[in-house]
Amino acid sequence: MADEHASHHVNYLMIFIILCVCTLLSIISDVVEIDRTKTLNNLFLIVLVLAIAMAKALFVLVYFMHLKFEGKWKFILLAPTVILAIGLPLALYPDIGVHYYTIAVPQAEETPSAAGHNASENPRAPLEHSTED
Amino acid sequence: MAHTSNIPASRMGLPIPNSKLGVWLFLGTEIMFFTAFIGTYIVLRLGSIDATGQSGWPTNVEDTHIKIWAGGLNTFVLILSSYFVVVAHEAMVHKDFGKARTFLISTFVLATLFLGIKGFEYYGKFEHDILPGHIAETPEQAIRKVVNEMDAAVRPELRSLIPPEKLAGLKNPTIAKLVSEVKAEHTDKPVIGLASEQIQLKDHMLADTSLSVLIESRRTILITKDGRRIVGVIPTVIATAETPAAASKELSIKLDDGTTVKIPESDIKEKRAGAELPRLTMEEVEQKLSELRSNEQYQPLLTSVHDPHPILYGNLFASNYFMMTGFHALHVIVGMILWGLVIAQGTSLNASWTDFVENSGLYWHFVDLVWIFLFPLLYII
Repeated sequence: MADEHASHHVNYLMIFIILCVCTLLSIISDVVEIDRTKTLNNLFLIVLVLAIAMAKALFVLVYFMHLKFEGKWKFILLAPTVILAIGLPLALYPDIGVHYYTIAVPQAEETPSAAGHNASENPRAPLEHSTED
Repeated sequence: MAHTSNIPASRMGLPIPNSKLGVWLFLGTEIMFFTAFIGTYIVLRLGSIDATGQSGWPTNVEDTHIKIWAGGLNTFVLILSSYFVVVAHEAMVHKDFGKARTFLISTFVLATLFLGIKGFEYYGKFEHDILPGHIAETPEQAIRKVVNEMDAAVRPELRSLIPPEKLAGLKNPTIAKLVSEVKAEHTDKPVIGLASEQIQLKDHMLADTSLSVLIESRRTILITKDGRRIVGVIPTVIATAETPAAASKELSIKLDDGTTVKIPESDIKEKRAGAELPRLTMEEVEQKLSELRSNEQYQPLLTSVHDPHPILYGNLFASNYFMMTGFHALHVIVGMILWGLVIAQGTSLNASWTDFVENSGLYWHFVDLVWIFLFPLLYII
């Protein structure tokens, strides 16, 4: 197989430079001041940096890992793992990622300073802060 | 079986060497391995919302101590090392083993640099106690953490001032108990002063009362079932810590004339505070701590105590961060061992290693690939 690879003329330096530029782009997109409290801005940034990451991943897979020059077996071998890899987060998402039920996360509830305070209460009570709902 | 041995192994099944097929299958399992972590991270992050329903995930670099330059530099380092690996493999194919060796040594050095930068980042996390299970997520937890860390800071110092035979008789002693057992000649030590500050702070924490209020002034009105009103101070904290409220069926109350009466819990109809008292705030504790730190006698004792800094979902963040970057770093170390094997051949490196370099290269590019995804997910988004 070794002789076969010699015939593939890939300008690896060019791929390396492309990867560096992509990395720089994602750093710049983070450093540039945007109002990230705006959902749309944030979404744009997320889509952008993940798209850059995807592009970089493809360059590495196709050229550095020589997938461009491999036979059809690459699809048979990689498709199941990719499907399972995408399936896992999707399977977890409904249970943890969405809250169709009432959440009871004490640390995410309002701070106690907003609540009333009675000095004669059990002194430990505020530390085991629980919510009614 | 002898008649089949003439057929080259690579003609069976797929037209690639078995070793390469093995590596690709292994990388298939590796994809799923890392997706488990990355997928869990994404899902947990999406599920972590605050009281307003917005994302509560810590993204402020002040909280997470994430350094974009470190992540970016490490991305560059790994990409460069991947480039060196393809150059090295090409050199192997062209039988230029000296060149291959040089580039693989450079790869090894870059991997070391990667781990060095990673180690520097980890050091910062440890320094600020950004560790799973160590992070206070609310102001109350932050106060409690300060109190506990002060306890841990003074306890061994106090124990060293108590005669061993006395120490042996103490079971789970409170700080107050330890202070009372300290030898008379040591009572002017700074740790005693700091211990009493810790006791004060803990009293206020347990009573959830501002430092501006003396705990002793917590006047309570007890109304018994037969209509009597008893006004006085219920000695808090130290008493309650040693005899848990659940265990004692009686409530002691110190009257204004200095006498203490005990009333069975079953006789009490109502308990009222003498006055609404301000609550203990984290800012007060923070200020108190900085006052204590400015005292040069206390300062060395307080180095292990962290300033209160609650981070919502900080523990989940830290778990995910260390899980993903830790396993990635482990993969880098394994890659370094593979390159180490090639480098160890020295000048006797020959064509028989070409497949090994190619296969290790595939693995190395995969490790680079994982980082390409971890970098935006952890450092940018």
